[in-house]
Amino acid sequence: MRNTHINFLYRFLRVFLLIAVLAGIQCDENNRSGRDALLYWSANNPDEIHFAREMVKNWNESDPKIQVVHQPVPEGRSSEEIILAAVVGKTTPDIYSNMWQGDVEAYAQANVLIPLDTITGFLNFMTARCDSETIAEVTSLDGHIYQVPWKINPIMLLYNENIFENIGFQDPPDTYSDFLEAAARIQKDSDGDGYIDRWIGYCEVLVVWYQRFFDFYPLYLAASGGGSLVKGSEVKFNNEYAVEVFRFLKTLYEKRYLPRERLSARSDAFLAGVIATRFAGPWEIAHAEKFKPEGFKYSFQSMPVPDEQEGPVYTYGDPKNIVIFNTCKDPARAWRFIRFMIEKENDLKFLEITSQIPRRRNLFHDEFFRNFFQQNPKMIPFALQAEHVKGTDQSPVLKEIFDIISQEYEACVIYGTKSPETAIADAARAVELILP
Amino acid sequence: MARKYVHLTPYFLVMPYIVHFFVFIAFPVLFSFFLMFHKWNIISPMEFIGLHNFYRLINDRLFFRSIFNTLIFLVIHVPLQIVVALFFAEILNQKIRLRGFFRAAFFLPVIVSGVVVTMLWEQLYGFDTGLLNRMLVSVGLPKVGWLIRPELAMPSIAIMATWKNVGLYIVLFLVGLQSVPPQYYEAADLEGANRWQKFFYITLPGINPTVLMVLILSTIGGFSLFIEPYIMTGGGPLNSTLSAVLYIYKQGFFYYHMGYAATLGFCFAIIILLVIALQKRFIERESGN
Repeated sequence: MRNTHINFLYRFLRVFLLIAVLAGIQCDENNRSGRDALLYWSANNPDEIHFAREMVKNWNESDPKIQVVHQPVPEGRSSEEIILAAVVGKTTPDIYSNMWQGDVEAYAQANVLIPLDTITGFLNFMTARCDSETIAEVTSLDGHIYQVPWKINPIMLLYNENIFENIGFQDPPDTYSDFLEAAARIQKDSDGDGYIDRWIGYCEVLVVWYQRFFDFYPLYLAASGGGSLVKGSEVKFNNEYAVEVFRFLKTLYEKRYLPRERLSARSDAFLAGVIATRFAGPWEIAHAEKFKPEGFKYSFQSMPVPDEQEGPVYTYGDPKNIVIFNTCKDPARAWRFIRFMIEKENDLKFLEITSQIPRRRNLFHDEFFRNFFQQNPKMIPFALQAEHVKGTDQSPVLKEIFDIISQEYEACVIYGTKSPETAIADAARAVELILP
Repeated sequence: MARKYVHLTPYFLVMPYIVHFFVFIAFPVLFSFFLMFHKWNIISPMEFIGLHNFYRLINDRLFFRSIFNTLIFLVIHVPLQIVVALFFAEILNQKIRLRGFFRAAFFLPVIVSGVVVTMLWEQLYGFDTGLLNRMLVSVGLPKVGWLIRPELAMPSIAIMATWKNVGLYIVLFLVGLQSVPPQYYEAADLEGANRWQKFFYITLPGINPTVLMVLILSTIGGFSLFIEPYIMTGGGPLNSTLSAVLYIYKQGFFYYHMGYAATLGFCFAIIILLVIALQKRFIERESGN
């Protein structure tokens, strides 16, 4: 009886080892078959997968010598985490097209990205495609460029036209004073229970660093004309613009024009008319068109600015860029595919398929794109705004910087325990300590 | 062939645990110890920085705040957990109708995912739309900012955690209660003892080992507070629900300060060890008395 068990155990182990060896061989075969092809990871939303597949198909048909294999970035809590895991495991693709600009500096300093400006023809192509401001923005602290500025989703003021018409505003508010006046008129207790149930807007109250990309940061860029938060090892946001933004948002919370309760668990508060505005990007268009109630009218405009503000109104562009990892054996070939993917014709396809804005100069005024904007008028404000957007500053500790600002934001803006001046000064002091 | 290796069989049988122990326990502990003296963001090479992480920890106001918050949570959660669990265990130990149903019902939240429970309670605690506030308003009371008032957020989380875990401790107390010899109660009845006297002089001393176990388990569970603040409040408002584990997680997996996170984890483990040792000593001394 005992021997039967032991024999069974050894038989089981032998079968297990055989399966493991066969699986290893199979895996190795798979790797070998794709050895010469470039591996390209795109974002994993359906529109971008559609676009990437079309690009890869067209490329592979046009140039059989450089074959590209497309794969959406594997599912995970966030694509940033997946990329980090791939970097650690040295399983990065050759090309990745959904790199958040704020992550690039840390990867560049860790030497996991190819400096693209060392590839022949890169700089010429980039100077033709982008303006000098964009090129300066994506240039790393060591003077190299590790990313191709590709797409943006500018954060703008999405507003409910019906509500603003009802409160007597022909145009949406574009200054802080107008915004506060509109907020007072919009604030409402609809069911008469003594509690406000309609607000001008909503900003996420959780202290998560990236939430500041949808309130403080675009407002700061709008107020400061595209100013920086940090430059190298120098803090730049300890200024009147940041203080003004904090004061504006603090007033909105103090007067209960913005709710402190999280609204994210409800049905869409904007489409339900619970909030009249939202700081959002072009992704809202597809969502609103699908779910808006009958007669619901909405539009977009630039972020509100301080009353005395003059000049162009900037905002955060939420840029996602293309990089080549150092695991790529032939960066020059990878660059040729990228260059194909961001040619003018393909930028138009990108617009049509994904409704995201390609980051190229003069997009709206270019005849080539005119038809698209005539057919998609909701995208026009974003195309115009694209001329005045900013990404993030180059810093390896960007998340910590935004976290520090978030902490002070919560204390000052949401709970009013600090004055705007003190909160910004405290944030600046804390950021100074962590800057390399 | 098989007979030749028969003496190796026990080693094969314990191998899964040995592998698990080295891969998931021994190696991470040793690696964390090693990391404490290094700066490492996962993607760049490690840099030896000596005791810098400890120096940073001593000056880290937020870490001490997170320890304080965790202790506040424990002070509310542990006694509440014990009292509520003992109360229901005592009721469910009586011959009541639908006893089996209630025992199962109280245990149900234990097996439901923490994330699901947290999201449900977030709906209950909502300021304008939450069920609790709607009930308060319906009887003419003002709304309460359960999760948006800094002084209320942690107690609210403690109540939710108690609701989630109480079923487990009810089961433990039931086992303890059923191990108290019934003769003691019969003797007490003959002596004319009332319900409270029987509870304080027979039941409580009789279930002392269970109380110790529940105390230690709920304390350890309380120290690992993470999911609830992570999902409901993100550590806010004003860092009032930032638990130690959440802070360590943020340092490790938000900012990739792996060396510093390891140092925080090490210090936190020592704090847990000290608290558990103190608790054990106190209970044992009380039992001796």
